[in-house]
Amino acid sequence: MRRKGWIGIMLLALWAACGLDPVWAGVPTEKVKETTDKILAIVGDPALKDPAQAIQRRERIRKAVDEMCDWEEMSRRSLGRHWAKRNEQERKEFVHFFGQLLERTYIDKVEGYSGEKVNYIGERVDGDYAEVDVKIVTKENTEIPVLYKLRTRDQRWWVYDIVIEGVSLVNNYRTQFSDIMAKSSFEGLLKKLKEKTAE
Amino acid sequence: MRRFNIEFTVGLFVIAGILCLAYLSIKLGGMELIGSKGYDVYALFSNSGGLKQGSSIVIAGVEVGRIRSVDLDDYQARIVMNLNEDVKIQEDAIAAIKTKGLIGEKFIEITPGASEKIIPPGGKIRETLPPVDFEQLLSKYVFGKVE
Repeated sequence: MRRKGWIGIMLLALWAACGLDPVWAGVPTEKVKETTDKILAIVGDPALKDPAQAIQRRERIRKAVDEMCDWEEMSRRSLGRHWAKRNEQERKEFVHFFGQLLERTYIDKVEGYSGEKVNYIGERVDGDYAEVDVKIVTKENTEIPVLYKLRTRDQRWWVYDIVIEGVSLVNNYRTQFSDIMAKSSFEGLLKKLKEKTAE
Repeated sequence: MRRFNIEFTVGLFVIAGILCLAYLSIKLGGMELIGSKGYDVYALFSNSGGLKQGSSIVIAGVEVGRIRSVDLDDYQARIVMNLNEDVKIQEDAIAAIKTKGLIGEKFIEITPGASEKIIPPGGKIRETLPPVDFEQLLSKYVFGKVE
């Protein structure tokens, strides 16, 4: 009887350890801050400033972003209702090229970094979802509000959308992709993505 | 007898006129008399941008419902939307407050998501976007450049 009680307690402890407790998953703000600090360190690294190091710099930024962003979730949400009709291979291809497009579009911007300050305003956690409020203060003292949207997967927080000045990345691509899908097809969309990333 | 007939007819016309007026005001005002059809979902916005009860909710530009109420909830705008019964909203759909034209009236646009989970009646649209404040954006570009 006593042994049974012990097994019960151990099972309970195991269940508590494996449960998706937000504390266990790590605080969302820390997740965003960790990656942002990493990127700022890479961008500010004088050894990587040399144009010959550009590729290496890009790779390192991409790696840091990879640790924060859930590319598949971002792609799924951006493609919207068309996602369900695609097979495994098509989805993989789409995630790959969409990731590359974002990399091309946004890393250029990150590389233009010139001493902007990043302030963490607050966070809201609601079950498996969280929002982190950030304000970027430029050198001219203009504040740019950025909102990171995160959710838990594999007991970690992952960013699935970024809202800058009230404009959502996912919603922006969702409307554009659905426009393209309405005019042509999924193959047409993939072709466009490939062209964009090859530029 | 004849006099009674004329008065009776005039009365009928007056009543018919009043009924027409009542019908028009209900239809144009977007009011519903006996409850309303469809189902309700709600969403929290950081800013409602002056959205009003009765404003329209659209998907791909097609009206699929109307705003039932706009209230303050923990310093956020809690907006209850009444949607047509046949409209299904995915769990990751995005509700964005938009403006008709540059300074026109506000409405909510829903872009359908990829999730297989459908928001049940009384459920919450998690993904929301407040209206873009053009005035604020403009002033940032105007005054932000002062060096």
